[in-house]
Amino acid sequence: MAETEKKRKIAVRGICQAGGIILLAAILGLLVNQIRSERLPLMADWSPEARLTLESGENIAISLGEAREAFLSKEGVFLDARSSELYEGGHIRGARNLPWQAVDEHFDAVMADIPKDRLVIAYCDGEACALSKDLAIELLFRGYENVRVLINGWSIWQENQLPVAKGSQPEALQAN
Amino acid sequence: MPKNSTLKPSKKKKQVWNLKTLPFFCARIFLGGIFIIASLDKILNPGAFAEIIHNYQFLPDAFINLTAIILPWAELLLGLFLVIGIWLPGAALLSTILLVVFWGSLLFNLIRGLDVYCGCFSTSIEVPSDATMIWYVVRDGIFLLLAFIVCYYVFFMKRRKLGSASQKMKREFPGVYQRRK
Repeated sequence: MAETEKKRKIAVRGICQAGGIILLAAILGLLVNQIRSERLPLMADWSPEARLTLESGENIAISLGEAREAFLSKEGVFLDARSSELYEGGHIRGARNLPWQAVDEHFDAVMADIPKDRLVIAYCDGEACALSKDLAIELLFRGYENVRVLINGWSIWQENQLPVAKGSQPEALQAN
Repeated sequence: MPKNSTLKPSKKKKQVWNLKTLPFFCARIFLGGIFIIASLDKILNPGAFAEIIHNYQFLPDAFINLTAIILPWAELLLGLFLVIGIWLPGAALLSTILLVVFWGSLLFNLIRGLDVYCGCFSTSIEVPSDATMIWYVVRDGIFLLLAFIVCYYVFFMKRRKLGSASQKMKREFPGVYQRRK
């Protein structure tokens, strides 16, 4: 009986102390965040559109309609930011593979013949996928002027039954 | 002076180490160290950590930044408390809850095939393959096991009758501790 009572007491103490640790962490975290130079807002808009708005206010998202136009007119170059394994398994026809995790390694080989003012459309898969956005920012940083991101690109491209391909190399022709 | 007290100190050496408590001590120190190491990079880069939390697609958007601000400090405090040995019931309970959540979300994402950055130790950009994700699940599973060991010792191990020095004194010199009427 005494042992059970002790266990109950220690369980109650554990719950109270856990709450205390969270409270302490909240005070410390919020305090440090307030004095930090790059303060993180307590709430932020995490929608894909908001995440693709640059500090300058420019939104680099491209709609599926615009991307399809760029594909059919061969005006845009599509860049698949996913891993080479996923690219080989299926990609937008004619897209080049520039995996974000190996961007420095492959950049020159993939981007050598693309002029800086050409429309470049980066994509990956999933609404929350950050690879295409990270790749787009890297391209802007490297001087490419017309960079856009197709949100959830691979999924919506397939859903709309637009041309796709498989294999490790991009196809010569983007459209049929 | 109380009548029954002999005031002779005990000849038995105080046992700090024994085979029963050694696994608890090792698990506690190791787990504490893991939490401290894991928290530092997240404290320094809360923005990158917020992005990692978002990629897990586990929390509502409204809680992402708040979690990125508070969680690393909770990890640091937990780690320190586990290593130093204060507030052990709370630290053991909270570390187990956190590891269950981390492990569950990793497993959940592995099963649903979502390719996420793992923010377990670093906020560096890294896209893990399935094999890497499986390794993360196994590794976090081991951490969770350690947390269960700590919890078992803190909450379920039968208390030693004379665990602390003050209790020992009470047994050997009961008269000294008699309440005044």
